[in-house]
Amino acid sequence: MVELVPSLLRQELARLAEEDNRIDGRGRWDARDVSLETDCLYNAEGSAKVVIGGTVVYAGVKFELRTPWPDRPTQGSLMCGAELRPVAGRKYEPGPPSPQSIELGRVVDRGIRESGCIDMESLCIVPGEKVWGVMIDIHVLSDQGNIFDACGLAAIAALRTAVVPAERFDVGEDHKLLVNGTPIMASFTRVGGRFVLDANEQEELGGDERIHITLGDEGHLHSLQKGLKGVFTPAEFAEIFDVAQKRCVELRELVAEKEGN
Amino acid sequence: MMGGYGDVQLLNDDGSRLDGRKVDEMRPVSIEAGVLPAAEGSAMVTHGLNVAVAAVYGPMEAHPRKIQRQDRAVIDVRYNMAPFSTSDRIRPGFNRRSREISKVTAEALESVVLVERYPRSKIRVEIEILAAEAGTRCVGITAAAVALADAGIPMRDMIVGVASGKIEDTVVLDLDKAEDNYGQADLPVGILPNTGEIAFLQMDGDLSADEFNLAMEYNFKAAKEIHGIMVDALKRKYDGGEA
Repeated sequence: MVELVPSLLRQELARLAEEDNRIDGRGRWDARDVSLETDCLYNAEGSAKVVIGGTVVYAGVKFELRTPWPDRPTQGSLMCGAELRPVAGRKYEPGPPSPQSIELGRVVDRGIRESGCIDMESLCIVPGEKVWGVMIDIHVLSDQGNIFDACGLAAIAALRTAVVPAERFDVGEDHKLLVNGTPIMASFTRVGGRFVLDANEQEELGGDERIHITLGDEGHLHSLQKGLKGVFTPAEFAEIFDVAQKRCVELRELVAEKEGN
Repeated sequence: MMGGYGDVQLLNDDGSRLDGRKVDEMRPVSIEAGVLPAAEGSAMVTHGLNVAVAAVYGPMEAHPRKIQRQDRAVIDVRYNMAPFSTSDRIRPGFNRRSREISKVTAEALESVVLVERYPRSKIRVEIEILAAEAGTRCVGITAAAVALADAGIPMRDMIVGVASGKIEDTVVLDLDKAEDNYGQADLPVGILPNTGEIAFLQMDGDLSADEFNLAMEYNFKAAKEIHGIMVDALKRKYDGGEA
């Protein structure tokens, strides 16, 4: 469904930006409340539910035994996919995966993969014969803006709580999946001419381009993505990069807090 | 599905079931209305280890135009199991099973929603199964009914999804996973709790007439119980207090 972008909304967002205000009264770098729940899906080997404002996302981790790629006989594999099914909002329609959902899954996948938090060698059972395939499926149930951050957080939180179901596959004892690090995504959207953190659905509807930054534990960049029409300057990037550093530390602490329980 | 009968013991020596339930006892059910802010109406139903979420959008313009009905709304149901909802991962996308369940669920809901109030329009009902442990189509129907009510869509009655079946030649209410896999029959129905009518009916396995009648008796008993929980969930949201 093509969404109409009301010019009145764009005008209002521009006016608010001039006053350094947002449509829901937040400051430019203020995020909405985030809630994280882990181990919440009975049949998944790792799971998480993330709620950011009115956005609701679940992630579940499943394992399968597979034969390794011939050129990487001692490495398992990781796959992360996102589904934007019609449940997520009025604008979503049934059909094959949309370019938007493919982008979403791939951006989350890159952040986790490139951070190196999963050692592919640790997923090897018998070199050349048997390795684990780890699959993270993300399910967006309600889109009220910034599904990228919600999906990124749900994926890593689910992965960090995952238990390898070795007994069910008859290849040893169940054990926690080894995850070395907590890559976290922070997303920014240009609204009323300037970037803001954690845009809501109205800001996304009346906004322009978005930038997704995934940072590892040391604050290093692991994945970047610019989406939608628009251009930005290096100075603008420097500004949001600073904000992303703080945001990622906060969300990483939230993940650690859940694991501590 | 019913092929494994005899291989697995499903009743204890004292006649109770493996999870300790009595033959006419259902799994615990809890319901929350209005869980998805993006939807016009929504509900989450936890039934035993099953978790189903339903979202309702509309009434909205029905398109493409050929699906429009001049005298009523069409109800567009999608029942979908999340990839992580089962023991073995499910590849995303529709399959024959989910298409059939979507079709008969839509027809059941069309039987209770006052569709003639909204000519030429469409009501979308999205059922997502997040965790599956036998009986998901029934849990999906219950979730859909609460979501429709939450969306303010007028209905003749609620509809409650319940199932009974047969294990070790004994009729039991609300089969769990093992009972479904190794039992002899499964009878899922959608019951209108106030009128006592039936809007959804499927069955597979082997049941005598007497067994069928007992299974139906159990189903009606469970429907009444679940209906109370559905009403409580809606009252909690709209009355802002205890039901």
